[in-house]
Amino acid sequence: MTRVNANRVMLVIAIMLAALYLFPLYWMYVTSLKTNSSIFAVPPEFLPGEPQWENYATIWDVANIPRFIWNSLVIATGVTVITGIVGAGAAYVLARYRNGWIDAALFTVLMLQVLPPSLMVTPIFVGFAWIGLLDFPRFAAILAISAKTMPFFVILCRAAFMTIPRELEEAALVDGNSRAGAFFMIVLPLARNGILISALLVFMQGFGEYVYSASIIADNRLQPASIGMTNFLQPNVVNWNAIMAFAATYVTPILAAFVLLQRQIVNGLTAGALK
Amino acid sequence: MGRWVQGLRDGIGFDTMLVLFALLYLFFFAGLPLIYNIVISFQSVDVFSLGSLVHPVVGIDNYTAIFADPLAQRVLINTLIFTIGSVTIQFTFGFALALFFHQRFPGATWIRGLFLAAWVMPGLVVGVLWNWLLSGDFGVINHVLESVGLIDEPVFWRSDVDTSLYSVLIANIWYGTPFNMILLAVGLAAIPDDLYEAAELDGATAFQRFWTITLPMMRPTIGAVLALGTIFTLQQFDLFAAITQGGPAGSSTVAQYWSWELSFREFDFGRGAVISVLMIVVVLFVSLIYVRSTKAETQL
Amino acid sequence: MTHQIELENVEKHYGSFHALKTVNLAIPKGQFVALVGPSGCGKSTLLRSIAGLERITSGVLRIEGERVNDLPPRKRDLAMVFQSYALYPHMSVRDNLTYALRLKGASKAERAKKAEEVAAIIGLENLLDRRPKALSGGQRQRVAMGRAIIRNPRAFLFDEPLSNLDAALRVRMRKEVRALHDRLGATSVYVTHDQIEAMTMADHVVVMRLGVIEQQGAPLELYERPANRFVAGFIGSPAMNFVPGTMAADGASVVLDLEGAPTLPTAIKAEPGLKVDVGLRPEHLTMGAPGVAGSATIGIAAVESTGSSCFLFADGDPELIITTDGSTNVKAGDQVGLTIAPERIHLFDPESEMALRSGE
Repeated sequence: MTRVNANRVMLVIAIMLAALYLFPLYWMYVTSLKTNSSIFAVPPEFLPGEPQWENYATIWDVANIPRFIWNSLVIATGVTVITGIVGAGAAYVLARYRNGWIDAALFTVLMLQVLPPSLMVTPIFVGFAWIGLLDFPRFAAILAISAKTMPFFVILCRAAFMTIPRELEEAALVDGNSRAGAFFMIVLPLARNGILISALLVFMQGFGEYVYSASIIADNRLQPASIGMTNFLQPNVVNWNAIMAFAATYVTPILAAFVLLQRQIVNGLTAGALK
Repeated sequence: MGRWVQGLRDGIGFDTMLVLFALLYLFFFAGLPLIYNIVISFQSVDVFSLGSLVHPVVGIDNYTAIFADPLAQRVLINTLIFTIGSVTIQFTFGFALALFFHQRFPGATWIRGLFLAAWVMPGLVVGVLWNWLLSGDFGVINHVLESVGLIDEPVFWRSDVDTSLYSVLIANIWYGTPFNMILLAVGLAAIPDDLYEAAELDGATAFQRFWTITLPMMRPTIGAVLALGTIFTLQQFDLFAAITQGGPAGSSTVAQYWSWELSFREFDFGRGAVISVLMIVVVLFVSLIYVRSTKAETQL
Repeated sequence: MTHQIELENVEKHYGSFHALKTVNLAIPKGQFVALVGPSGCGKSTLLRSIAGLERITSGVLRIEGERVNDLPPRKRDLAMVFQSYALYPHMSVRDNLTYALRLKGASKAERAKKAEEVAAIIGLENLLDRRPKALSGGQRQRVAMGRAIIRNPRAFLFDEPLSNLDAALRVRMRKEVRALHDRLGATSVYVTHDQIEAMTMADHVVVMRLGVIEQQGAPLELYERPANRFVAGFIGSPAMNFVPGTMAADGASVVLDLEGAPTLPTAIKAEPGLKVDVGLRPEHLTMGAPGVAGSATIGIAAVESTGSSCFLFADGDPELIITTDGSTNVKAGDQVGLTIAPERIHLFDPESEMALRSGE
C-alpha cells in the first residue's frame, strides 16, 4: 500500500483509539445532561434524549458550586504564587551551574517530589496543629500543597532556563547589568513561556488537590470543589446526572486550557522529566 | 553593609540566596515533617493531644500494633497487586501507543497529545467518573461487557470484595497510561533514523531492529518511566477516596490509604505515622533508581 | 555485459516534487562512480534509491542483472556508509562490525575471526572493545567502513562519508577509501558535493543538477570537454571564468568582450556574428607585463597567495580569476597583461548553455 494510504489508515486508527480512550470524558458530559430516570436506562443511552441543561443551573444552586470553585481558585492561586516565587529563582541557579553543591541540591529536590501527600499529611497536620496554623485552613493547605508542587515546578523551570544561552546573560553583564538585573530583565522574560506553562501545570494541580485540603480544612465553607464532590458520594447515590454536572463544571476550565495549550504542555513536561 | 548588599545583587550571594530560599521552604514543609513523622511514630497522638508538641512516648508499641494488625497482610498484598499491576499495564499500553504514534503519520502528534487530557484532570474527578462507569447495575462498562458476551451478569466492581481493588486499578491504568506514553515517545524519538536505516541495510527485519536497536537504546528511558510510574502509583490516593474508600472491609485498602485512615478516621496519628515512615522508605528507594536512570540518560 | 548496477529511465517523485528525472546510469563491476553536484541536485536521493531506502516512481533498477525495484533494502546485499556514520552507540566496535553477521546467525568463532580480519584492514585492531563515543571522528569513519566491508556486499554506497572530517584528515582518507576499493575489487557509488573528491577518487564521474544528470564520464573528459556551462563551471577549482564574446565574421575566431583582448582563433565551428559565452579556466591564463601586444591589459584588485600557488582577482566586470604556480610579484592595484591560450578556450551558447564543439 502506498505511503499516503498507510498514513490515512493509521490516522483513522489513531482517531478511534483516542475516541475510545476519551470516552469517559464524553460519558461525563452526556450523563450530566440526562434526566433523573434516563441515567438508569437499560441499555444506557449513548446520546441524551433531550439535553437537560437545567441540571447545571440546579447544581449551581443546590450544591453551592460557586463557593467550592471559589475556594479551589483561592487555593490554586495561592499555591501557584508561592511555588512560582520561591521556585523560579532556585530553578535558575540550578540550571546555570553544575558542581557538588548544585548536584546535592538537585538531588534533594528530585527526591522531595516523590513524597506522597497521603503519607506526609500526618506529620504536617500534627505540626500545623501545634503551631496553630489550622486556624487558617486555606492558608495552611496552600503552604502544604506548595511544598508538594515546588520540586515539580523547579525541575520543569530548570529545563526552561537551560534553553537560554549563557552568552545572553554574559552580554548583559558586560553591558553593565548586575546579576540580579540580568536575571530579571533578560533571563526571566526569555524563559517566560516555559515558566508560564510550568505555572499552569502547578495551578492545575492546586485546583484539583484533595488530600491536604480534605485533611486540613474542616470548615465546609472553606473547602474546595474536590471535597465538595465527595459530599455527593453516598453509598447509594442516585443523582449521577447532578454529580456529573458538578464534575463537568469543575473540570471544563482545565480541559479547555489543556486543549488550547496542549503542545506547549507536552513540550514542557518532556523536557523536565527526562533531564 | 553596602558590600553585603552588593553581594546579594551580584555574584555568589545572589545565587545562594535564590537556592537557599527554596531549600529553606522545602526544609520547613517537607524536611521537618519527615523527621517529625519518625518522632510521632514512637508517640501516642490523638485528637486531644494535638495541640502540644510533645506527646507521650510509647516506644515501638505503634510498630508492633501495626505488624500485628490483621489488616496489615491484606494491605501489603493489595499494595503489591495495585503497584505492580498498574506499572506493568500502564507501561505496556503506553509503549504500544508510543510505538504506534511513532509511525509519524500526519496528525499523530496532535492526537497523541489528546491522551494527556486525562492526566491533567483532578484525580478525584477521574475517580468519580470511573465510579459511575463501573457502577454495578447501571454502569456503562458492565453493559458493554455483557453485550460483547464477556460476562453473563453485571459485576459489582466497587462493592464486591474480590473486585474492589481492581476497580481502582482499572481507573489508575486509564489515568497513568498517557504519561508513560509521552515519556516513552520522547525516548523513541531520540533514536536517530539512520541507525534504523543502517540496520535495515545490514539485513535486519522490523522485529530485529526493535529488539537490537530500539530496546537497548531505550533502556535508560524505560528505567526512568518504570521508576516514575511506581512513584506516582505509590502516591495515588484520590482514586481510592472517590471509588471505594478502601472498602469493602479493607479489600481495596493500600498502604498510603491505610495511613490516612488511621490518622484521619481513627485519629490514631501515631500508627498512621508508622505506615508513613515505612512507605516513605520504600518510595525513597525507588526514586534513587529514578535519579540514577536520568543520569544514565545523558551519557549515551 | 551485465553491469553491477543499472538504472534505466528512473524517475522519482515526492508528491509533486520531481526529484529524479530520467536517470540512466550503468555501473560495471569494479568501477568507482562519483555522484557529484550542488545541494538539492538529487545525488543523495539517487543513492538512497539504489539502496532501497527510497522507492523509485518509475523506471528499472537492476543489481547484477536482477530487477530489484520492489526488493526491500535488507535483501539487496548492498552496504552503505552514512555521512553521520550511523554507528550503534550501545555496541562495541566489534559488535558494530559483526552486527550483520549476527543477524545471519554466524557462529561466535566466525564472527570473531572476521572482526579481526576487517579490523586489520581498517587499522583498528586495538579498538575493538571500545564504544563509538570513545573514538575520534576519523576512527568512527573507519568503523563505518569496516562494517560495510565485513559483509562483502555486491556494491558499496557512500553518502558524503568524509564531510564531517577536518581538511587534513579528509585528504588522507580520500586516498585510503580509494585504496580500499581497489584492494577489495569492489564496486562503489560515492556521493559528494566536493568536486575535488569526485575528480581524484572516481573512475567515472556523474554530475547532477536538479534531478538531471548533466554529464557523466571519466574525470579528465569532464574537465577537458564539459558538455555545458554548468558542468564547466562546476568542475575545476577555482571555477572557470566566463566572458561574453562574439564570433568573428570569418567564423573561425572569436572576439572577446574584454578591452584589449586579441581576437582568438578557434577550431570550434559557429556562425559568424553569433553571441557566445567564452569559458576561460584560471589556470589557462598567463600574466605578463602590461601593454604588450596580443595581451589584454587588466587591473588586479586582490592577490591571494597560498605559498604553492597564487589566485589573482581582476577588477572589472566580469571579475576574472587567474591562477599561477608559485609566488608572484604582482600586487593589488597593479596592471598586468593577460594572455589567453586559444586552444584552451570553451565556447557556450548563451541561451541553451550547451557547449559548442569543433566539428571533426
